[in-house]
Amino acid sequence: MIAAFARTFDNLFGRGEAAVTVPPLDGAFRPNRMLDEAGSRAALEGVDCLATHGDTLVASAGRVLMELGKDGHWVQRQDFGTSIVCIASLGADGLATALADGEIVIVGGPRAGQSYRIDSKATCITAMTSRNGELIVANGSATNAPGDWQKDLLERNASGSIWRIDLESGASSCIDDGLAWPAGLAIDGDVLVVAEAWRHQLVRFDPERPSSRKVVLADLPAYPGRIAPAADGFWLAMFAPRSQLVEFVLREPSYRRRMMAEVPQPYWVAPRLRSGRSFYESLQGGGVKHLGMLKPWAPTMSAGLCVRLDRAFQPRSSLQSRADGSTHGVTSAIEHQRRLFVAARGDGVIVSLPIDTIATDRGGSR
Amino acid sequence: MTPVVELRGVTKEYRGVPAVKNVSFTLERGEVHAVLGENGAGKSTLTKMVAGVVQPSAGEVWIDGEKVALSTPSEALTRGVAMVYQETSLVPSLTVAQNIYLTDDKRFHRLRGIYIAGQQFLQSLNFHVDPTAMVATLGAGQKQMVEIARAVHHDAKVIIFDEPTATLTPEEKHQFFSLVERLKLRGVSVIFISHALEEALAIADRITVMRDGEHVVTDVTSAFDREKIVRAMVGRTLSGELYGSHRDRTLRTPGDKVLSVQNLSMGSVVRNTSFSVFAGQITGVFGLIGSGRTEAAKVVAGVLKRDLFHGGQVRLNGKSVRYRVPRPAVRDGIIYVTEDRKLEGFFETMSIAENIHIAAIAGGQSKSATVSISEMRQIAQHWIEALNVKAINADARVIELSGGNQQKVVVAKALVQKPKLVIFDEPTRGVDVGAIAEIHQLINRLADDGIAVLVISSYLPEVLQLSDRILVCRQGRIVEEFEGNKADKETIMYAAVH
Repeated sequence: MIAAFARTFDNLFGRGEAAVTVPPLDGAFRPNRMLDEAGSRAALEGVDCLATHGDTLVASAGRVLMELGKDGHWVQRQDFGTSIVCIASLGADGLATALADGEIVIVGGPRAGQSYRIDSKATCITAMTSRNGELIVANGSATNAPGDWQKDLLERNASGSIWRIDLESGASSCIDDGLAWPAGLAIDGDVLVVAEAWRHQLVRFDPERPSSRKVVLADLPAYPGRIAPAADGFWLAMFAPRSQLVEFVLREPSYRRRMMAEVPQPYWVAPRLRSGRSFYESLQGGGVKHLGMLKPWAPTMSAGLCVRLDRAFQPRSSLQSRADGSTHGVTSAIEHQRRLFVAARGDGVIVSLPIDTIATDRGGSR
Repeated sequence: MTPVVELRGVTKEYRGVPAVKNVSFTLERGEVHAVLGENGAGKSTLTKMVAGVVQPSAGEVWIDGEKVALSTPSEALTRGVAMVYQETSLVPSLTVAQNIYLTDDKRFHRLRGIYIAGQQFLQSLNFHVDPTAMVATLGAGQKQMVEIARAVHHDAKVIIFDEPTATLTPEEKHQFFSLVERLKLRGVSVIFISHALEEALAIADRITVMRDGEHVVTDVTSAFDREKIVRAMVGRTLSGELYGSHRDRTLRTPGDKVLSVQNLSMGSVVRNTSFSVFAGQITGVFGLIGSGRTEAAKVVAGVLKRDLFHGGQVRLNGKSVRYRVPRPAVRDGIIYVTEDRKLEGFFETMSIAENIHIAAIAGGQSKSATVSISEMRQIAQHWIEALNVKAINADARVIELSGGNQQKVVVAKALVQKPKLVIFDEPTRGVDVGAIAEIHQLINRLADDGIAVLVISSYLPEVLQLSDRILVCRQGRIVEEFEGNKADKETIMYAAVH
């Protein structure tokens, strides 16, 4: 009764859970254009996930697996005939490739060609990682496919789950569920770190004791995605920025329902991997443009954001593409041969830059 | 030519303690004479003897070649000496024009008449202040302008400005300097007391430096540079230590995010502003007066309230907080060190010990139901030593201390509460050079100890010197962020005004 009263009070005054606020892009998230200014830039339509396979860097783009050739060009390696939703390195054991129908196929290594499934109903694989002969898999949603991530957000679902597959026996088991779109996984010693996108946080827990769940980084200014290990920490890809407008819509259930029922999906008030391609979209006109040019600081539904985390998962610096940039919708970032490779699915590009040129914004070396 | 003001060997003692010792001073007609010195050097006492506020214990005061014994400020005013005080002496419940014409010989004025005359007069001084506005509603800078206008209105031959620019924005300072130039052309002599040495060097014809109540040196301005003045003021070189090159500094690595202000709004003063403060780091906030910095900080500390509807969020260590009064904020470890220490910083009639102990009680550090005098003395003595407060003992009243030592008491009141986040609002306003260095060291020490520190300052060299991160506030919101060792004055100022 009191909780209901408090909720009504909060809704009226815009407080507590109903506060339509977004954390600022400051400190390690200080706006910059490093992604747009990266020296190396390769167009790759539909690029999504990056991983290493032996000494080779591979990328998933739609139905095909691409690899970075010695000459620095991307070449096709394999066509799976169906969309690849995620890839992950298994070290010497090859490469795990998750497909849109929920099947996970091993490429290369001693188990080449073997396939696994976490569950017959689980078809929303968003991230994978491996440890000790096991494959850890994140299933983003129990009801939506990976491409329907905006719908899952607007439905305010928290039906994601984390699974483990024994690569030897093929047996799978659920480690934890009730997660709000787990979109990234990382192994830190014995513990597992999960990026929970719709709750804007990173949580860590012992896979043997899921109840040990603890938030390590909260209140992020964008939706966190895949995590990759780095030489001195981790790289976190953040696929879309949060905005006050979206936060407001998320707190208006009836508006959301009508919008999703009556407005075509490309024009929903929702974060995107790339925005500004149609004049039917929300956020147009003088609010975002000045003399016909998009303001870099305009509120935007899409942006490019890749964050360097230290070993304690605290942000140290970031690489960004602002509202008027051209490297939006970062879905994956990975270190390879002293370079950072960033896949921006929104703009269909892979940019790369030497690790040494990336300044640590928050720290003594500035 | 006879000096317009001459002091011959004046001494002023308070309870046997000399504030000014055997000082001689001259002010020529149409001259701008800067009097510089640390707080407690005796500058204000010296000038107050000219303005009739205090009477010398020994020595003579000569005005226009005539020996005088001024017993009241109005007596000095009739002889053409007006003083513009550091603390405003305006009546807050009257309008600007009423304040200007309050002490006129003419007893009765038509309101409409003084508003029209006031408007013209303020315009002639290039002061953008509404003559019909209530003084209570004005900002510190505008109050200072009214104070200056009142002195000019009295057609004074000698105007004494005590720290006139401390509360002014750069643009207002520019206007003030051109006003002084105009006064000079009209033959008005100006005594200018300031801690901003650059201003004295820019504006003064002659400079007098005082130290510990004694005259150190008087010479034409061209004979001085910043280094020489500082050396004369403090007897040691502090300039480089104070405002050396900020580019050589190594910035601190930040800790956890202690404070996250998200889309905070308060009327038209704070408008949808957002910023973060990290542990173990000094976050400087620069902005012009009226840019909403102080108000945002006060909302965080529970002194002011944000908008009732959709006023934004303040998150302390990840937890959303909303304080209606400062007490729970203090209990949670947020301390706001006020910019107006005389009004909000301490109880002036109480002793140092009582002031510090009250803060300890407010912060829940003292658990006793009754006041323990020995505990009070112990706490006070610890902080007096830790912050190097120069006082006879802990029982000295705070009002009797110099500005710098008063500020140290205010800081002691903050630190005794074991804060997690300290917000310093203009920490060195009206503080002498020696105390500035000590306060800066103290702020640095706090950050080194892992405390989150937010420093709000209108003095750009201070922000550059102290800050690991610099946030720029404009029109009620944070508009830009810079790295402490990479920003330069021009870029910051550009962000603050455009």
